[in-house]
Parts: sequence; C-alpha cells; structure tokens
Amino acid sequence: MKHRNALLLVILLALALTACQKTSDNLVVGTSADYPPYEYVDEAGNMAGFDIELMAEIAKRMDVKIEWQDMPFDSLIQAVQEGKIDASISCFNYSEERAQLVDFSDPYHTSEDAFIAMKDFTKKFTKAEDAANYKLGVQSGTMQDEWITEELIETGLMSESNLSRYERVDQAALDLKAGRIDILMADDVPAGVIASQDDDLEIIYKEMLYTGPINIVLPKGSADLQAEINRIIAELKAEGFIEKLAIKYFYE
Amino acid sequence: MDFAKFFQYIASGTAYTVGVTLIALPFGLVLGLILSLMHVYGGKFLSRIMAVYSTIMRGIPPIVLLFILYFMVSGNINLSPFWAGSISLGIVSSAYQMEIIRGALLSVSGSQMMAARSIGMSRMQAIRHIIIPQALRLAIPPWSNEAAIVIKDSSLVYALGVPEVLRRAQLISASTQEPFLAYITAGLIYFALVFITNRLLNRLEKRLAIPANP
Amino acid sequence: MLLSIKDLFVTYGAIEALHGISFDGEEGGIVTLIGANGAGKSTTLWSIVRQIKEMGGKVDSGSMEFKGEDLSKYSPHDVVNKLGITLVPEGRRVFSNMSVLENLKIAAFGRKDKEDVAQDLERVFGIFPRLEERKSQLADLLSGGELQMLAVGRSLMNRGSLMLLDEPSMGLAPILVQELFGNLATINKEGSTILLVEQNAHLALRYTTKAYVLETGTITLSGSSEEVGKNPEVKKAYLGG
Ligand SMILES: Nc1ncnc2c1ncn2[C@@H]1O[C@H](COP(=O)(O)OP(=O)(O)OP(=O)(O)O)[C@@H](O)[C@H]1O
Ligand SMILES: [Mg+2]
Repeated sequence: MKHRNALLLVILLALALTACQKTSDNLVVGTSADYPPYEYVDEAGNMAGFDIELMAEIAKRMDVKIEWQDMPFDSLIQAVQEGKIDASISCFNYSEERAQLVDFSDPYHTSEDAFIAMKDFTKKFTKAEDAANYKLGVQSGTMQDEWITEELIETGLMSESNLSRYERVDQAALDLKAGRIDILMADDVPAGVIASQDDDLEIIYKEMLYTGPINIVLPKGSADLQAEINRIIAELKAEGFIEKLAIKYFYE
Repeated sequence: MDFAKFFQYIASGTAYTVGVTLIALPFGLVLGLILSLMHVYGGKFLSRIMAVYSTIMRGIPPIVLLFILYFMVSGNINLSPFWAGSISLGIVSSAYQMEIIRGALLSVSGSQMMAARSIGMSRMQAIRHIIIPQALRLAIPPWSNEAAIVIKDSSLVYALGVPEVLRRAQLISASTQEPFLAYITAGLIYFALVFITNRLLNRLEKRLAIPANP
Repeated sequence: MLLSIKDLFVTYGAIEALHGISFDGEEGGIVTLIGANGAGKSTTLWSIVRQIKEMGGKVDSGSMEFKGEDLSKYSPHDVVNKLGITLVPEGRRVFSNMSVLENLKIAAFGRKDKEDVAQDLERVFGIFPRLEERKSQLADLLSGGELQMLAVGRSLMNRGSLMLLDEPSMGLAPILVQELFGNLATINKEGSTILLVEQNAHLALRYTTKAYVLETGTITLSGSSEEVGKNPEVKKAYLGG
C-alpha cells in the first residue's frame, strides 16, 4: 500500500510538471532570462525586460497566447532549429553562420559593443583593438565573443589564454571585480546596467563592431510567421512603441 | 530586495529537481539492472556490447549526452524538456548503475550459483532468488553514492529549459546581482536533498542487513 | 539398485578425468568413494547431478541410472526436485550473505507443502542444535564446522532420497568431524541413502558399509568397508601403515 502511494505521488508530480510544458496552439517563445534589461525574472519570479514586453505586444497583435520557455542562451538556436520552440527573442544579432541554421525577423533595435573596466583602470584604451593587450572576459557564444575570436585571436593580436569565456555576463562582472580579468566586453545595454549597479565599474569605450541590429529568431522556412512579425515590428516602430520601451528599460 | 521572495523563487525549483531525480534514478536502476544481467549472464557477445555501452556512456560528459539524447533522439517524438531531460539523465545513470550492480553480481555469483544449483534451482531461478537479492543488498552503499550524483546532475536539465533549482539561482542572480546569496541558497537545497536521501538509504541498508550478532 | 553407474568416461577438454568407472548404491545404504587429491571424486558427483557441464567437463560415455531411470534425461534442477538427489558440494558452499534460517528456508523454495517444510526445519534443528542457536546469524560468520552443518542441513530441506557429500570432513577439527559423521549416520537411519566422497579414509570406512577406492580415474578396489579397510594396499596408501 505504501509503495503504491509513493508511485502515485511520482505520477502526479510528473503530470503536474508536464502540464506546464509545451501544449498546442500557443506560441512557444524561448529566451535566456539572465540578461537584464533585455530579459530577466522580476521579483515576483515573472519574465520581464525589453525583449519580453516587446514580444508580448507582438503576440497580442498576432492574437496568439505566448508561452515562455527559459533556457540557457547556448541552447536557444538549436531549440528553434529542432522545433522545440516556435521562436526566440534573446537579444540575437544577425550573423551569417546563424542565418544558415535559422531565419531572422527584421531588426527591432540596434545596440553597440561596450568595454567595461574597474574605475581605477588607467591604462591605454583608445580603440577597440587595444583590448588585445589585456585579460579579457566575454559571454560565450555572443557577437562580442565572435569579434574577439576573429579580430583579436585569429589575427594573432592576443593569445587565447588571455580570454575567459563565461556562460553569463554577471559571472564575468564578478571576475572583473575580483581582478581575474581586466576588461569585460559586452552589449552596451547590459553593460550599462552592470556599470550603473556597481560603483566600482564603468564603461571605458563603446563602438559598433559585430553587433548592431537585433532580431527575433525563427525556424527555417517559416515565411508566414516571419512576414507577420515583420509587419508588426514596422507598425510598432511607426507608433513609437519600441522607442518608449527602450527609454523605459535602458535609460531610466 | 524582498528576501522571502528571493528564497521562495529558488526553492520552488526543488519540485523539478526532485521530480527529475525520482524519474531518472528508478529508470536508470531498472535499465542498469537489466543491462548488468546481460553483461554478467548474457554470454560473450552481449557482454562485449554492454562493456562498450558502459565505456561510451561513462566516457562522455553527462551534459553532452543530455544534449545528444534530447535534440537527436527526441527530435521527432515531442517530449517535454522535463521528461526528455529526466529520461536522458536516467540513461546516463544506467551505465553507472550497471557497473555498480555488475560488481555486486560478480561478488555474489560464482559459488553462490553452484550452491543454488545444488538445491535444485534452474539458472534463471538462481539469478532471481539468490543472486539478485543478495547483489542488490550489497549494492546499496555504492548506489546511494550514485543517487547523490543523480540529484546533483539533475541540475544539468537546466540546459534544456527546465526551471530547476540551479537555473532559478542563475536567473535571480542575474536580475538582483546577488550571485553569492543565490548560489548559497541553491547549494543548501542540494545539500539538504542529498543528506536526506543518504539518511533514508542508510536506514534501508540497516533494515535489510542481517544482524551479525543477534 | 537405487544408483547404478556403469563405464563412466568423463573428460575436461583433452584431459580424461574418469576412465570408465562403475559402482552401485543400494537403497538405504551408506557408501563411500575414497581417493586422493585429483582422483576424480568431485568429477563423479558433478556428473551424477548433471552439473559437469558447468564445471567445464563432459560425460563421454557410460550410463548413470537412478531407480532404473536414465539420469542424462534430467536437467540439473530436476535431478534435485524430481529425483531427490542432493549434493552437499565441496567447500561448504552456502549463501554467505543470508542468515542461517534464510539459507535453510530457501532450500525448500520449490516445495508447496509448507507445513512439512516447517517440520523438516525442526528436524534439521533437532539434528544440528547448533544451527538453531545461530539461526539469525549471517552464514558468512559461521565457523567451519557450523558451515558444513548448514550445507548438510540445507540439503535435508529438500527431502532427498539420495544425499551426495563431497569431502565434508575437509578442514574440520576431529571432534567436529565425529559429531558430523554421527549426524550423517542418523540421517541415513531416517531413510536417506548416502554417497560419501572422502580423502579421510579412516573415518569414511568407519561410518559406511560399502566402499570403493578411486585412483586417478579408475576404481581399483571395492567391497564392504570393513574388508577394504583391511586391505594392505589401502592401509599403506590411506591409513598410514
Ligand atoms: N574444470 C576442470 N578443468 C580441467 N581439469 C579439471 C577440472 N576439474 C577437475 N579437473 C581435473 O580432473 C581431475 C579430477 O578432478 P576432481 O576435482 O574430480 O578430483 P577430486 O578427486 O575431487 O580431488 P580433491 O580431493 O582434490 O577434491 C584432476 O586431475 C583435475 O585436475
Ligand atoms: Mg574434489
């Protein structure tokens, strides 16, 4: 009898847990909610951020219910490719390699690359390539990672042993404070958040390198969905909705 | 920051951590038992295959296997990340559990099989009534080690998008800039789960053990 | 004749271990097969209980009959369950991770007559009171003599009509051997036929009625245990003068 109860418990638990997973007509959107202010969880444990609110508005205008699926950034492209999720919004820049695996919507925002250092950093940093002279940190799989790899390491400007790749930006910021790296390269918006939350850190240089426009990622061959999302993005831009969101999340 | 909410958010991932473990561990046990029996009693050919299975599965980092199993094997069947992750983890664990049970089977086997045959048991009966019960009893201590490993490895399913304890700690750490507090909380939860599990298994071991001096 | 072995040849690969031996066991009798190390005593017993294949050997030719039935038609477990032939194997093979009581009970696993099983358990404890004292102890922790008692007791739980014992005296102190052999005599009187394989000829001949001498795979002498004990060759080879 006891055993039976235990079994029942396991089954119920499993059912309860599966009930939260992908169901039918909802639009399942993946994001890596560890990248404020683009995407993060708020104090109540809900998804929040620039991307999140934007996508919610897009879904509303498409008249579909959105179902969020959080997963690590590294898993997102593959999850879209394998049809585990219907779309992903997670501050994705366009790149040719990614474009071979998935489709992109039109850009909805444009960002820059930023270099963060401790406030007492006094060494020379006048152009992006100067980063090669220091111990660098970057979030792995990002456009910044790609820029460092292609422009600094493969060109021989720096050795790969001077680069630390992190799963998340906040981990890199901790190491920056601990002195294990000298410079952290990141998208300017999250970089701005980190610098504003921490009195010891500041942005020392900004430039648009490999980053730039950010887009929603869609499975290959989803032309209808792509067209509809592009139409709504254009609409939202024209209405000034996206600009208002940017001010709310990035500059307030 | 509201600390009660902070802890509650991380702790609410415990249900997933426990759920993944409760599926992965028994799944791995049943599979591991079957595979270990094939390894020990299945003849040369099966034994070879099992050895290869074990070497491959134990030679690849669990996270890599998890990805391969999730994205490739479950590519066509629409399994939720929770189920796919749990079963994949169970498959990974089956290789380790196979080795644990195989070791126990071998340490019982030989003369015990002879003894069983001489009281009139067939090979199958001997395996079922004599070898397996004794082997499982012997396997409890190393198995509780594996149970602890599976509890901790259950955190790997975060990579598939299951909001378990570790992933929640990551998310809250990113949004509050309190990584130390977040990871300490997660660490304590894992520790508590492993501690309780080991306690329960110790009890089970004592209950099944035969008193040396009654 | 209860057991009748004729011209038995057994080989292990290229090695011939038994070169055509023949012997009989009378119902209710207590027979011994004596021989030195490597004579082929265990080989003979494994052949009778049809476990020779597991040992890596093979019966090449010859016949083995039990109550007139061809033993080669029976599987190893049917030899025990249907014919009631039990082997107390060399080296006191018991279930070391089980208690004494579990060892005895599991020996009766195939029997449906639960009440009789309980009675047989009482009988085993009657013959070996020491096993009752130690019944919840782990078999692994028994002394050598107690282990041998357990091995014999376990085969009693099968209610065998023929009990084969492979060197039960090995490694036991003389007092324990006497106690054990005394118990075997009791078991024999209660109706079980016994085939005892021994190196300890002195003892074996004292407790049995019929004896065969096995030397490197061949039976060289047979007769009543008394006669065999008086044979000068046997005296010289096995009885220390
Ligand atoms: N599995 C085996 N493979 C090859 N040869 C074997 C095997 N088992 C026994 N033999 C050989 O067969 C012969 C008879 O062995 P057996 O074990 O029957 O002797 P025994 O009379 O029981 O000796 P002991 O008193 O030492 O137990 C020996 O020469 C032995 O080396
Ligand atoms: Mg022998």
